[in-house]
Amino acid sequence: MTTGRRLPNGRNTLIVVALVGLIGAPLAAHRRDEYLQAARLDMTLTRVTLELDLTPGIAVADSIIGDLDRNRDGTLAKLEKDAYAAQVMSAIDLELGGRVLQPQVNAVTFPELAAFRRGDGTIRIEAAADLPSLPAGDRELFFRNRFRPDVGAYLANALAPQNDRVTVLAQHRDPDQRELTIDYAVRGEPSVGLPWWVTGVVAALALTTAFLLRPRVALGG
Amino acid sequence: MTAAARLVLLVCALATAASPLPLSAQRAASPTAASNSQAATTARIVTAAKAVVTSLDEAGRRKVQFPFDSQQKAKWSNFPSGIFERDGIKMGDLTAAQKDAVMNLLSVALSRDGFQKVRDIMRGDEVLKTTDGGRGGPRGGGRGRSGPGGGLIFGEDLYYLAFVGAPSTTDPWMLQFGGHHLAINLTMAGSQATMAPSLPAAQPATYAFEGRTVRPLGRENDKAFALINALDEKQRGQAILGYRVSDLVLGPGQDGRTIQPEGLKASAMTPAQQTMLLDIVREWAGIMADAYAEPRIQEIRGSINDTYFAWSGPTINGSAAYFRVQGPTLVIEYAPQGSVEHIHTIYRDPTNDYGAKIAKR
Repeated sequence: MTTGRRLPNGRNTLIVVALVGLIGAPLAAHRRDEYLQAARLDMTLTRVTLELDLTPGIAVADSIIGDLDRNRDGTLAKLEKDAYAAQVMSAIDLELGGRVLQPQVNAVTFPELAAFRRGDGTIRIEAAADLPSLPAGDRELFFRNRFRPDVGAYLANALAPQNDRVTVLAQHRDPDQRELTIDYAVRGEPSVGLPWWVTGVVAALALTTAFLLRPRVALGG
Repeated sequence: MTAAARLVLLVCALATAASPLPLSAQRAASPTAASNSQAATTARIVTAAKAVVTSLDEAGRRKVQFPFDSQQKAKWSNFPSGIFERDGIKMGDLTAAQKDAVMNLLSVALSRDGFQKVRDIMRGDEVLKTTDGGRGGPRGGGRGRSGPGGGLIFGEDLYYLAFVGAPSTTDPWMLQFGGHHLAINLTMAGSQATMAPSLPAAQPATYAFEGRTVRPLGRENDKAFALINALDEKQRGQAILGYRVSDLVLGPGQDGRTIQPEGLKASAMTPAQQTMLLDIVREWAGIMADAYAEPRIQEIRGSINDTYFAWSGPTINGSAAYFRVQGPTLVIEYAPQGSVEHIHTIYRDPTNDYGAKIAKR
């Protein structure tokens, strides 16, 4: 169940104001020693796609490289990349209305190891999960990132849906953005019909034709 | 008039009335004084760009010019040289006369404030080169680091100019100028132009130069703090996000993505607050030449009721706080990188990044 994980909006705001003071301290020293993990979630009618960008700061690069390059040969083999992506995904929770989803990795890209040491190396993972067939209505998608909380700095956002039948209603996060709950709605399929202005033109034409072709009575003088 | 003729006329009138193209759009398509001014600006920029090309030798010309449909468009970053390698002509490789030609081009392509902002950002990088201002920086940014071959990472010499597409008053092309903490991507297509995406940033965000205090992004910061403090409690409750935002969400490499907007919708602001919001937007949209900036600001004004203002962080000016302005054709993010002395920002138009809307050939 995802209910109970989030806080009411008003409470969130108050807590943030309080947290802001607390955040100030770590904020002043973040970046170099943090592992930025930016998640984006894209909902369609039938599936959810997760894009995850992982960018280690310079100070944690060697630790990340150690996890990646298991045989210490200075290069990343496909097996090592796949193993790392699997390790990341095992720390990702995704649920729809309390039902656990199993996102499958579609694509991974890794930079050269040297890029991590420069501080501009980003690992990109794209994974997707099919959504169960549900009637039109409101949905609640829950995302949690448990990967490397010792050094993680997190971003989590819903992408604006491309399908106009899908509407994001609200997003709720914990203060560190490790958790994101997206409330969204799926509308039913619209009935097939002509655009309103075509209907209007046809109706106006019919009325005009009826008016012009109406039987006329000659007026006597 | 016969009944048949009247019928034809009526059908035409109805068809026009039912046209999906609003009258305002039809009027906008006609030549106006504004578009003449924009066309004249493009002509001046093209002249200045050609002067740069003329000042270069053959090798320089090859370096500065890229095809319009090349990947060079998206090759920009907030990172310094040594971490991110740019293409184009490097300021440090130019003669004084060539540098003057480049700076003249920028002064024509940008507004007075925009040009000053670019100068202040570059000068800030020069300060960074000679101080330990990079100490608290992000991935990369420490003092004394050097790039491949031992070249300096920071400084005014490490900014690059590229033309993506040949400078033209009719065909689309892009003026790209950037370096550490700066990416200006100005795409022009005849009388139209867009500066999206661009990245003005600053480190240090405050420094002294010739006896005065320089804050390259100071107005952006102060105007945003003024707006958050001008909101009432209920509005602020909607504007302030319940979480920490540690970086740009739509920074370099995030082309083509649109996140779900959050925060306070400007339709819930007073007219005075909306004016303050537009004044913040102007700090980014107004970097390009006035003739381009004004219609852009009008466009954003036209959708102000669908524009959101979001905030994360303390509300006392002088603190490190993130904010975002997002509308149908706009994304602005302002993200302190750990302190008020190191700021990244991004300016995007999800409908017109790299001139997607105006540069169709």
